[in-house]
Amino acid sequence: MKRSKPMAALALVALVGLQGCASQRSESALDDATAAYQKVKDNSDVLRSAPRDVIRAGESLGRAERLAGYIGTGPDVRHYAYLSQRYSEIAAEHAKLALNQERVTKLDLDRQRLQLALREAKLASVQQQGKFIEAQISALASQQSDRGLVMTLGDVLFDTGQADLKNTASRTVLKLVQFLQLNPRRVVRIEGYTDSTGTPEDNLRLSRERAQSVGDMLVDLGVKEERIEVVGYGDQYPVEANASERGRAQNRRVEIVFSDDKGKLSPAR
Amino acid sequence: MNIRFSIIALGMLGLAGCASDPAPVEQLRLSEQALEQAKAVGATEQVPEYKLAEDKLTRAKANMASESYRDARMRAEQAELDARLAEARVLTQKSEEQLQVLQSRVKRLRKQLEVQP
Repeated sequence: MKRSKPMAALALVALVGLQGCASQRSESALDDATAAYQKVKDNSDVLRSAPRDVIRAGESLGRAERLAGYIGTGPDVRHYAYLSQRYSEIAAEHAKLALNQERVTKLDLDRQRLQLALREAKLASVQQQGKFIEAQISALASQQSDRGLVMTLGDVLFDTGQADLKNTASRTVLKLVQFLQLNPRRVVRIEGYTDSTGTPEDNLRLSRERAQSVGDMLVDLGVKEERIEVVGYGDQYPVEANASERGRAQNRRVEIVFSDDKGKLSPAR
Repeated sequence: MNIRFSIIALGMLGLAGCASDPAPVEQLRLSEQALEQAKAVGATEQVPEYKLAEDKLTRAKANMASESYRDARMRAEQAELDARLAEARVLTQKSEEQLQVLQSRVKRLRKQLEVQP
């Protein structure tokens, strides 16, 4: 009896020592799991998006803590602590995901709203630009009661006897193209005229060629061919008497007749 | 007397523990399912948790073969949660990327709106 007491004490010490070693690892696992659980258990975002995982984290942690009270349960304690920590992490991750998704939804609405606003702004600016160009064209053109809007490209745009457009014509023609692009339903008739010098046949041909070269340029710049009609009138329909040089210069011209905005053109002469 | 009794009790408990562990077939199925799901959303071995899950499942299967059902169950349980965490991380990562794309698009739109007259 006297000998067995120290033996028993020794055994007890050894046991406690062993358990102490094992429980140190278990304890740190428990601490980690507890810390992870603390972070999620009162977080309303987490509770909202992953309530079941939070509950399981709590349950597993409780189990690990209860087991820690017994001897020789180290592996189980660590196992349930591990599970608890994972549940907490999963819950936290789900909450993050849910928040991100909410932000994505909100941002996508923002994007749609902004896109709409931008489209409207662009449309408004195109309309404004359209009005500006229209005003410029109106300044270059004049309203003729029987023919509608008519724009005259003067003699200076061509060299004498030549059908090719001079470079100086480009700006006017560009404006014309812009105008037609902004008014996609309008069509034009391009009419060529000459003075009375030369034979009527030559004049007819030259007037037609000049009108055609204006039409070609419009096509080159992107106006559809079917929106353009080309006519040559030779020396007919003079605007001034052909007696003076000044009068003849005025008669050598190309006229652009615009349709109304529904595409209706006044009948040809 | 007391010590002897507790030793016996402990031994019985241990034996009972061994005997009462059935083959965790259902748990292995669940773990495999969780891994599949993580893979389906795009988890790869680059995701540390996915790698862990794979390794643990492999070991759980080996434990099953050697009838160490307790180890098999614990590893399979851990593998399941590892896989679920991997899946959640991948999804969060994706949502973050989506968020970034949207943020830059919204920013660009705002900038464009500013230069509009």
